[in-house]
Amino acid sequence: MSSQQEQIREAARAYLEGGVVSVVIGYEHGPKGQVRPAFVYEAGDVDRLIWSRECNQNLTTYLHSFKHSPRRGAPVPRVAVVVRACDARAVNLLLHEQQIERDNIKVIGVVCGDREARGQERQACRYCQEREPVIYDTLVEPEAPVKLSETPDDYADILEMEEWAPQERLAYWLTEFDRCIRCYACRQACPGCYCFECVAEQVDPHWSSIAVELPEKFFFHVMRAFHLAGRCVGCDACEAVCPMDIPLSKLNRKLAKEVEDLFGYRTGDDPAALPPLATFNPEERLPL
Amino acid sequence: MASEKLFEPRIVGFLCNWCSYAGADLAGTSRTQYPPNVRIIRVPCSGRVDPLFVLKALQDGADGVMVLGCHPGDCHYQQGNYIAQRRYALMHRLLEFIGVESGRLYVDWVSASEGKKFAQIVTEFTEQVRALGPSAIRPRPAGVALAAGEVCA
Repeated sequence: MSSQQEQIREAARAYLEGGVVSVVIGYEHGPKGQVRPAFVYEAGDVDRLIWSRECNQNLTTYLHSFKHSPRRGAPVPRVAVVVRACDARAVNLLLHEQQIERDNIKVIGVVCGDREARGQERQACRYCQEREPVIYDTLVEPEAPVKLSETPDDYADILEMEEWAPQERLAYWLTEFDRCIRCYACRQACPGCYCFECVAEQVDPHWSSIAVELPEKFFFHVMRAFHLAGRCVGCDACEAVCPMDIPLSKLNRKLAKEVEDLFGYRTGDDPAALPPLATFNPEERLPL
Repeated sequence: MASEKLFEPRIVGFLCNWCSYAGADLAGTSRTQYPPNVRIIRVPCSGRVDPLFVLKALQDGADGVMVLGCHPGDCHYQQGNYIAQRRYALMHRLLEFIGVESGRLYVDWVSASEGKKFAQIVTEFTEQVRALGPSAIRPRPAGVALAAGEVCA
């Protein structure tokens, strides 16, 4: 079997040559050798696409750029996107929230390579048990068998933090949030953060000042975490782009844990299931 | 310390128009005593209370926040309090994880006939927040402590 990179290029070439899509979103090498998102419009350019261990951005974020018609009368562009297993659940999220239409996207699902090699740094990879993406049109098979985690996320670090005194936790988070420079990179990298006007920047009503001060930073991060409650797919894109290394995945995983505990729901697994905060059950009585 | 003696909790209360606000009104018309620490904001429904409001209150220096709505099944809009219930079950756990003591947020159901219950809830919650002390999210400037009975901060 050809390498995963070759398979991605072949799939992209077939989609572009057949006129199925007008753009393929994948990964490429930047001028300094770094991995960056690539937008390929011509079949002749597909050799720019790469696949490597460093391909860590969640490209489904860019689907938002293609969900509207570029000008009056023109059709909504059709897009192919390269996704990993975690990103594929974000595709399901966006489909469910009616941000994109299934007919307008082609999903090139990659079975990620060796988890142990990939996931040294990323919390998302450490406990990943997903081999195939939950949604795909073209599956990119690995050359060698994939090693999956044998245990699901045990939330060991979260459980440890829950043992701390509240003052310790608050001190920890205020220290972490204090480093924030409010660059909003976490928000931009997140496929679930697609509001036209973010609460953090809204002027009317003016929820939060633009001051880069601790109360505003606290407000921004807790607000963002809660907006993603039951919606975060756990791709860790926010943490990966944070220039100040704020452990945002801890917040998201805490909420994922609680959502699973309270509602038995995991984001993106089932595109038909309603997100827990968008629905209710008259029979349930939750601890308040 | 003098400033600790002077600590009066600032509490923001979001009350649903149809049940809890009427309950508070009943407490008032029946001359039931309850602490003046709670600043009441009337909202159409507990489902209107975005957790953002709670965060905003905490960010702006509230020491405690209470959200009161109709009893389950009694919502004027059929489902608002069920949705609030789901939100606040999560919000409690998130705030606790951030290190805001879960005692600073209180969510309960108060009907229009429960003036006594309203007064009791406010009394208990005020004492609870008083015991927790001032919120650390936006500490008050040194020396600025509210005297008992002072209404505006």
